[in-house]
Amino acid sequence: MAFPVNRRGFLALTGAGAGALALAACAGPDTSGGTAAKAGASPDTDFSNVKPASSIEFWTNHPGQSQAVEQQIIEKFQKANPGITVNLVTAGANYEEIAQKFQTAQAAKSGLPGVVVLSDVWWFRYYVNGNIIPLDSLAKQLGVQLSDYRDSLVKDYQYGGKQWALPYGRSTPLFYYNKDHFKAAGLPDRAPKSWDEFDDWAPKLKAASGAQYAYMYPALAGYAGWTLQNNLWGWGSGWSNSWDITCDSADAVAAMQWVQDSVYKDKWAGVSSKESADDFAAGIASATISSTGSLVGILKNAKFNVGVGFLPGGPKASTNVCPTGGAGLGIPSGITKEQQLAAAMFIKFVGEPENTAAFSAATGYMPVRKSADMTAVLAKTPQIQTAIDQLAVTKVQDNARVFLPGADQEMAKSVAKIVTQQGDVKAIMADLKKTLTGIYEKDVRPKLTA
Amino acid sequence: MTKLDLDRPQPAVVARAPRTRPRWSLRSRRDFLVFLAMALPNLALIAVFTHRPLLANLQYSTLDWTLGASTARVVGLANYVDFFTSDDAPRVLGTTAAFTLFTVGLSMVLGLLVALALNSKVRGTTFARSAVFAPYVLSGVGVGLVWMFIFDPGYGVLAWVLRGLGQSSPQWFNDPQLALTMVTIVYVWKNLGYCAVVYLAGLQSLPGDVMEAAELDGAGSARRFWSIALPLLSPTTFFLLITTILSSLQAFDLIRIMTPLGTGTSTLIYEAYLQAFGAYNRAGYSAAISVILFAILLIVTVVQIRFVERKVHYS
Repeated sequence: MAFPVNRRGFLALTGAGAGALALAACAGPDTSGGTAAKAGASPDTDFSNVKPASSIEFWTNHPGQSQAVEQQIIEKFQKANPGITVNLVTAGANYEEIAQKFQTAQAAKSGLPGVVVLSDVWWFRYYVNGNIIPLDSLAKQLGVQLSDYRDSLVKDYQYGGKQWALPYGRSTPLFYYNKDHFKAAGLPDRAPKSWDEFDDWAPKLKAASGAQYAYMYPALAGYAGWTLQNNLWGWGSGWSNSWDITCDSADAVAAMQWVQDSVYKDKWAGVSSKESADDFAAGIASATISSTGSLVGILKNAKFNVGVGFLPGGPKASTNVCPTGGAGLGIPSGITKEQQLAAAMFIKFVGEPENTAAFSAATGYMPVRKSADMTAVLAKTPQIQTAIDQLAVTKVQDNARVFLPGADQEMAKSVAKIVTQQGDVKAIMADLKKTLTGIYEKDVRPKLTA
Repeated sequence: MTKLDLDRPQPAVVARAPRTRPRWSLRSRRDFLVFLAMALPNLALIAVFTHRPLLANLQYSTLDWTLGASTARVVGLANYVDFFTSDDAPRVLGTTAAFTLFTVGLSMVLGLLVALALNSKVRGTTFARSAVFAPYVLSGVGVGLVWMFIFDPGYGVLAWVLRGLGQSSPQWFNDPQLALTMVTIVYVWKNLGYCAVVYLAGLQSLPGDVMEAAELDGAGSARRFWSIALPLLSPTTFFLLITTILSSLQAFDLIRIMTPLGTGTSTLIYEAYLQAFGAYNRAGYSAAISVILFAILLIVTVVQIRFVERKVHYS
C-alpha cells in the first residue's frame, strides 16, 4: 500500500497537531494580571435569595476511623432536610492526601466538593489561594451559634476578621501511659507534671517494664512539628513568635538538645516510624504523646490499663504547653452559591451538640460545642474528660507550623537529623530558621493582603 | 575501493528524469483516508495526553504558581535558577544518582547471576523462575506495605531477628541514609526478576555451537562466560541498561508508600511530586524540576543510543 505521505510529512503533521492542541487547550492559571494570587480573594457573598442545591459531596478522610458515624450524621441530615443529598466521599487516607485531591481539583477547576475537611496546616493556604469562602454571612443567615463553639477551637480558623472554617475533628495531643508499667516501676498513677520529672522516672520505668522504650516520640511525619511545640514552649521558645522565626533561639536549641539526649545520651526514648499510638498499644513503649483522636483506638487495641494526662511542662513554662490541632470543615469558593448554602447547612448540622457528642464518642475527638451533653460518652470513655479539661490550658499553634506551606515537613526533616542522626542541634535549628524564613518571604508574605 | 571491488561489473549510470509531483490516484486517496481513520484517533490521544501536558508543563515551569491558586506570575527561568542555586539541587540530584546507580547496577548484576543459576538444568528451575519473576508483577504499593512491616523497627520481622541477636533495629524510616538503602533494597528485590528473565532469554539464545567449540578448544567456564557469553549478551545488556535506567529514574510508588516525606529518598520525580502535591504547593517550581528530569531522560537515552550501542555485538 503506497501512502501519499512520507515519514517527514507524517512527523510534521503529528507535531503540528500536537502543538495546535497544546496551544489551544492550555488551561492553568491566569497570568494576565502579572501578579501571583492575593490572599482572601473570595468575597463574603450574600445568600439571602439562594436556594440550597439538591446534592453536594462531603470530602473527608474519616479522621479517627469515623466513616460509620459520618454516615449516620449524613442520614440524620437528609431526614431533616429531605431535599438535600450529601454524598460521603473518601478523599484520602489522611489530611495530606485530602489536601492533595482538593488542590488538584482546584487546579483542574472542576469536581470540587460542597464540604471539605481541612487540617490545621492546610486551611490557611486555602485562604491565601482564595480557595475557600468566609462563613460569616452564612453562619448569620443560618443562625449558627458561634458563641457556643469552644472559643479556642473556633478562633483557630479566624484570620483577617473573618471565619474561614468551623471546627470538626478537633484534637489536642494527650500524654498516654501504661498504668501497669508505671505500677511495676513504683511510679504514681498519673502523667508527669514536667519533663524533668519524667527524666527521673524513665530509667526506673525502662528497667521495670521490659518495654523497649520508656517513651516513644511520635512519628516525625505529621507529628514532629505539632507535638514538639510542647517541648519548645516548655523551654520558653517556639517554632516562631508571630511571623518571627525563633527556632534557633537558645531556649529552642536547649529544648531540642534535651530531646536528642533522651534518645542518644540517656537512651530511654525512641522515635516511632509510623504511628506512636500503635507502638504504645503494642507495648513497645511505656508512654507516648498522641492525638486525642487516637484515644478510642488505643483503648480498643491495648491489652493493658491505659492512663491519660496533660502534656508535661518544661523548665520555663509548666502550663499552656499543649497545642490544639485536628481538622475543620470549609466550603470551596469554586462551587455555586446553591451548593455553598447546602454545604453550610450541612456544616451547621454536623456541629449540632448531639452530633459532635456522637462524633466524639466514636473517635475520641473533642466535642466542639460547649453545650454538648457528654454524660453518656464520658460514662463509656471517661478518659475523654482529660482531653476536654486540657482544652482550658491549650495554646494556639505557632504561625511557622500552621501557616507556612511545607514548614511541617521541614520541621520533621530537621528533627529527623537531630533524633536519628545525632546531628548538631544548634546548626540544624539555624538551618531550619533559614528555610522557614525563606518560605515566609517567598510563599506567604507577598500574598498577604493585611 | 579495493581492487576486488573495481573488478566487479559496475552498474550503469542512468540519467534521472526530473521529479514530478505524483498525482493521487483514487486508490491512493482511499488508502490515505483509511490511514487517517486508523491513525488519527491514536495520534489525537498521544497529542492530548502526552504532548499537550508536556508543553503545558514547560509553560508552567516559567510561572510563580501556587497549586490551587487561579492566578500566577510569569517569572521566566527563575524556577530553574532557584533549583540550581538552592540546596535542593545537590541533594536531589545526588539522591537520584545514588538511587539510579545502585538500583540499576544491582538489578543487572544480580539479575545476570540469577539468570545463570536458572539456566542450569537442575530440578525445580521452573518454580524458581516463577518465584524470581513474581515480585515484578506485584503492585508496588502492596510490596511497599509488606516491606514496611518487615523493616518496622518496633515490631517488624527484621527487628525481631536483630533482637534475637542482641541488636536493636536501625531507624530505617527516619534516618535519611538508611531510608534510601531500604527503598533501594526493596526496589532491587521487586525488579530483579525482570532483569533475570530477560538475561535468561538472552542466555538461552546463545549459539550452542560456539560455546561447544570454545569448550573443545579448552576454554574453562569462566573464560567462556567472560569472552563469549558476556559479549554476545551485549544487546540484552544494552536493552536492560536503557529500560532499567528509565524505570529507575521514574520510580515512584515504593518511595511514596515507604517514605512519604521523601526523607533521604527525594529523587527528581519524587521531589517534583512533593513540591507540587506534597506540602509546598509550588506548582511552577515542581514543573521546572519535571522539565529537568525530562531533559536528563532524553540525554541519557540519546547518549546510550549514540555511544553505548556502538559497543554492542549483535549476532
